[in-house]
Amino acid sequence: MQLRILGLLTGLLGLVSALSAQGSKLVVILEEESEKSKYSQFWSDLQDRGFQITYRSPKDTDLSLFLHGEPAYSHLLILPPKSKGLGPQLTPNLLVDFVNQGSNILLALSSEQPVPSAISGLLQELDITLPADRNSVVVDHFNYDTKSADEKHDVLLLPSPKFSKSETKNFFSVDKLIAMPHAVGQVLGNPSPLLASVLNAPSTAYTYNPKEEGELEDVFATGSQISLVSAFQARNSARFTVLGSAEAMEDKWFDASVQSPGAGKKSEKTGNKEFIRKLSAWTFMELGVLRVGEIRHYLNEGAQKGASNRTDVEKLDIDPTIYRIKNDVHYSVEVSEWSNTAWIPFTTPAGDDLQLEFSMLSPFHRLNLKPSSSNGVSTTYTAEFKLPDQHGIFNFFVEYRRPFYTNVEEKRTVTVRHFAHDEWPRSFVISGAYPWIGGIWVTIAGWVAFVALWLYSAPSQPKRDLKASSAGKR
Amino acid sequence: MAPKNRQSTPQQPPKLPTTTASQTPSKSQSKPSTSSSSSVRNTQDARQIAIGVWNNYIDATPQRVKLLDAFMVFLMAVGLLQFVYCVIAGNYPFNAFLSGFSATVGQFVLTASLRMQTNAENKAEFERISHERAFADYVFGSMILHFFCVNFIN
Repeated sequence: MQLRILGLLTGLLGLVSALSAQGSKLVVILEEESEKSKYSQFWSDLQDRGFQITYRSPKDTDLSLFLHGEPAYSHLLILPPKSKGLGPQLTPNLLVDFVNQGSNILLALSSEQPVPSAISGLLQELDITLPADRNSVVVDHFNYDTKSADEKHDVLLLPSPKFSKSETKNFFSVDKLIAMPHAVGQVLGNPSPLLASVLNAPSTAYTYNPKEEGELEDVFATGSQISLVSAFQARNSARFTVLGSAEAMEDKWFDASVQSPGAGKKSEKTGNKEFIRKLSAWTFMELGVLRVGEIRHYLNEGAQKGASNRTDVEKLDIDPTIYRIKNDVHYSVEVSEWSNTAWIPFTTPAGDDLQLEFSMLSPFHRLNLKPSSSNGVSTTYTAEFKLPDQHGIFNFFVEYRRPFYTNVEEKRTVTVRHFAHDEWPRSFVISGAYPWIGGIWVTIAGWVAFVALWLYSAPSQPKRDLKASSAGKR
Repeated sequence: MAPKNRQSTPQQPPKLPTTTASQTPSKSQSKPSTSSSSSVRNTQDARQIAIGVWNNYIDATPQRVKLLDAFMVFLMAVGLLQFVYCVIAGNYPFNAFLSGFSATVGQFVLTASLRMQTNAENKAEFERISHERAFADYVFGSMILHFFCVNFIN
């Protein structure tokens, strides 16, 4: 009874507090208390979304990301430090451990302060490269805000993020311009399934160091090569987002009015509030989190056919451990997606499919799973197929790794046996075998006739002789 | 001593044991064999030779050996038909082909063994085995073969 009340209470608490699929504890690393008020709209937004925010300075001696070897927080937000580094509690190693244990990090950079080498070292581990020049800034002489940066051109105005692949789900689209003041450009390394650029610079942008005099030479990166917001999703689905401009989160830019250069351009409001909200929601596991519910597979032939639509479930054999080759098999998997507040049925983006592999070392089947039914929480994806003509230990394997979605990797191992000796069709069922069946019986009939003839045609004389002789001898 | 020898001794002199097994052809044996051999020497006609061989076979072979030969020809025909069918129509129920074909082959081998053991000309080699014993073995072996084939064809 007590346990039940306790469970109810924790359930209610979970319902009330966390809007993240993972946890609500967020730690914000900022150096000076005075900085805090700059982001007040963002903090109140986060608190409204149910996060319990702890503000810590990197200099705090009792700051620790881990408690008893486990992450003490679910999420970490690092604002650009004024000092040269992040201190002994936030070394790249510890931050990588933090991510490896499943926690998420949102890292904000700013070109106003030189980027600490600890941070560029950390990003180097994720294959994100920052300019070697620690003070460099991204400028664009065609997409800047004429109101605030008429001279320096270092406040970039960007349209909503777009992805080249149409089947990539876009969690970050906003319908207004996004202002990225004093951004640090990043360059993503080798094409990696873990890394994705959320917001690219326009093709006319480039990085440069405002403190350097004279001609511009050896530009670190130009054009859309520069990523202003990068997203890294580790193999354990923990998320690490690099926001090139910390100022974009400030109240000042949340609904500032900006104006693009060029005649006829009007002053308009920025979409920063919505973009930062979506970016933080994605980073802190409020968006794009997939969950696999019930997985069922069963023999789809004979008495078991169509078992999913039947009510006499207790008579059916669901999830058997053994099948036979060439069996018809039904497989279904429930997938839900966390969307801000609740689990909703997951539907694959248009042009994309959830796939089932039936594999032993290599897949023997790779099939598209079709959505068959959906309740309020999850979509059921099903596939029906005939097992291959190969016995062994097989896996029903669903693997779904897409940018901005958490990874789905579900394996169910079954044995596939060969035909038992009494499961083959009898030869009299196969009309092709009639001549050979006839051959046997003709042989036997011929043999019987031969034996009869042999016995009938026994030479009488020698027999009598034999008898007589043997009688005579004895 | 084997019973074969004992049976032959009282009727005829022990020099000629070969002719004792079958009484009927022994009389007519001498006449056609000489005529056919002479015709082979005189005319080189292949047809003549074949006819001669055939006549010789008809005249000189004991009744039971003829019966054995007829049965073996029959088995060969049945086996050949099954093999031709396999070549033309494919070997899909392969066990059916194997058992059907091997039934004829096995029966052929068993029959050939019976022929060896009961042929009067091989008397010297099988003198310890009576015809009745050989035939009983043959029946026993054949029944095992049939059992296996019918079982294997499923």
